[in-house]
Amino acid sequence: MQKETQPVNQPNPFEKVIEFVDERVGLKTIQAKMMNEPIPGGSRWAYAFGSILLFIFILQVVTGILLMFYYVPSTDHAYDSTQYIIHEVDYGWFLLSYHFWGSSAMVVMVFAHMSQVFLWGAYKKPRELIWLVGLALFGIVMGFGFTGYLLPWDQRAYWATVVGVEIMDKTPIVGDFIARFLKGGPTPGQMTLSRFFVIHVMVLPAALMGLAGLHIFLFRKAGPAGPFRGTPEELKAKTDYFFPRQIWKDIVGMATVFLIICSLAFIEPVVLLEQATPDPGDYHPEPEWYFLFLFQLLRLKIFGGEFGQFMGAMAIPGAFMAFLAVLPFIDTKPERNIFKRPVALIGWIFIMVFILVFTWSAIINREFLD
Amino acid sequence: MQPKLTAKARCTDKEVGKISKVIVDPLSHEISHVVVRELNGQGVDRQVPIEQIQTVVSEEEIVLRCPSEEFDRFPQLERDQYVTIHDVEIAHLEDHLHVEPGEVLVPLPRLEQGVPRRAFFNNMTHAIGTLIALPLAFPVLKFLMKPMYKPFDNAWFSVGNIKKIKKENIGFQFKFRRGFKEAFMPEQQIEKNIWVVKATPEVQKAVTGGKDAKFFGNKGDLLHVNKANSPYIGFSGKCPHLGCGYKWRRTKNFPDGVFLCPCHLSLYDEAGKVIDGPAPRALDVLPMQVDDAGEIKIIDVEYKAGIKKQIRLL
Repeated sequence: MQKETQPVNQPNPFEKVIEFVDERVGLKTIQAKMMNEPIPGGSRWAYAFGSILLFIFILQVVTGILLMFYYVPSTDHAYDSTQYIIHEVDYGWFLLSYHFWGSSAMVVMVFAHMSQVFLWGAYKKPRELIWLVGLALFGIVMGFGFTGYLLPWDQRAYWATVVGVEIMDKTPIVGDFIARFLKGGPTPGQMTLSRFFVIHVMVLPAALMGLAGLHIFLFRKAGPAGPFRGTPEELKAKTDYFFPRQIWKDIVGMATVFLIICSLAFIEPVVLLEQATPDPGDYHPEPEWYFLFLFQLLRLKIFGGEFGQFMGAMAIPGAFMAFLAVLPFIDTKPERNIFKRPVALIGWIFIMVFILVFTWSAIINREFLD
Repeated sequence: MQPKLTAKARCTDKEVGKISKVIVDPLSHEISHVVVRELNGQGVDRQVPIEQIQTVVSEEEIVLRCPSEEFDRFPQLERDQYVTIHDVEIAHLEDHLHVEPGEVLVPLPRLEQGVPRRAFFNNMTHAIGTLIALPLAFPVLKFLMKPMYKPFDNAWFSVGNIKKIKKENIGFQFKFRRGFKEAFMPEQQIEKNIWVVKATPEVQKAVTGGKDAKFFGNKGDLLHVNKANSPYIGFSGKCPHLGCGYKWRRTKNFPDGVFLCPCHLSLYDEAGKVIDGPAPRALDVLPMQVDDAGEIKIIDVEYKAGIKKQIRLL
């Protein structure tokens, strides 16, 4: 009762501004709706990957914008301006290396996020659309990796692009068009750099922002899937809201990933090779590590020749992506428990082992080349 | 038939109150309780399970299964254990509900009830966010500042020969080219211009005030002295108002000619003094020397425009 006798606190100017905006846009309702989303079965570390991805992307945008303050996308200045960022500009080496390692972290987190959704059976009805938009986002992340790789215009950049575009060239019917479209001509040069630059800094970020917004909207519309086992009563008893426990887990995850990316930037900062020329010299062309398994696949004898190459470079990865896209529509059983979905579990393990083995063998192969 | 909020609630024997709210189960999306506000006393809200409704007589009235003595045994509504559906996002919940007017309540999950560490989590979340953002602030600022403060270039440039100037007390333009190296770009040749006046002693005095003008470098070291009695005066080609390029023009009011800036119509006389217009200071005199052969050399100095004081930029 004593409390009520105390004078009512006058709102401070900041609270007044908040009040003013709230009255007009319903800020507090929006905040409450965002924060108070019930998570069936309670918050978990496993649910943090999506938020971490968003966090990494935001920092990629920030570091990317900063790099553009100095970077010039022309064949006679791209290499020099990148070297200038690394060697002359204060903390330039760090921001560039952060951006570089951030892209790897993004790919790792995409794999973790997709695996979690797959193993939890969260792509099933009513969440098919979230899964489909997620696959598009996966493609965009890979596109970021591929286009960004060319921008420093060193030997590594140039040759990864040459090989990557040659692979796309083998797409039936439209391959030649796509390859010429990306190269901006018959051979890689200034037009290629301009196109990759625009795709990397304008097209893909816009696409990613739009689709990520749609992804989150669809997610909130369907609600979180929750764990794959437990009775409704058990889930209800463990349910909590997005804030504070899940946000706490998310932000601890973000901080961890941030520290790892920073450490990698310190331990292994980006070093450019020689400026790009159409003569590889002693350099053995190789794509970024997350494309290595595909690269290695194409060294196999069975994927030699025109048909084999088409199978290895286009048909198999394409069929795999198509399979993932139709997965929620062919796998319509409501069972989500991964331990009661043996085909899904074995399939996931197979894919992971395949990627690991081929990535590893590509790394071993380096020794034979040197 | 669906009762309205504010519908009367009767027990088997008499009216006990009105429906004031409904409570919805967040998982099944079904109404689990109605909240009945007692008629008597202080208007206590009681939570009545939905199964206790025997009949819905009309939109305005429902009948409960129990007698009025038992009604008091229903638990009081603990409002802080619930949130309204405006404060929580439950997918498709609102599609199921047609409750007007008033609050539809959803029970707060057990784990969210009286969370003692809510504030702690909140603070820690902000603290970690700050720990991520703060260490980046300084490097980012330094990164952006790299090309902003260049040391002055105090090299001498030849701009032409004084023999070209045939008349005293008029502005004569000399164009010159100089190398310019910026960041990672290769050195470029850029064209600049200065204005030189062959001054009569009166004009010399108007410019210098009878005193030598000293020019200093980055660390305050003396670079050059323009002698007070030197007949040749060089003006920077940049208008001290807002940095445009000005010209020497004869006008109706000034048939002998004046320096005229076309941007904001600042006028300067042959000594560089402001005659008219918005310029805050006279034209900037350059460090200049003329050798025995009449070759003019200058240091390419530029000052900040728009202020009374001369602050060197280049």
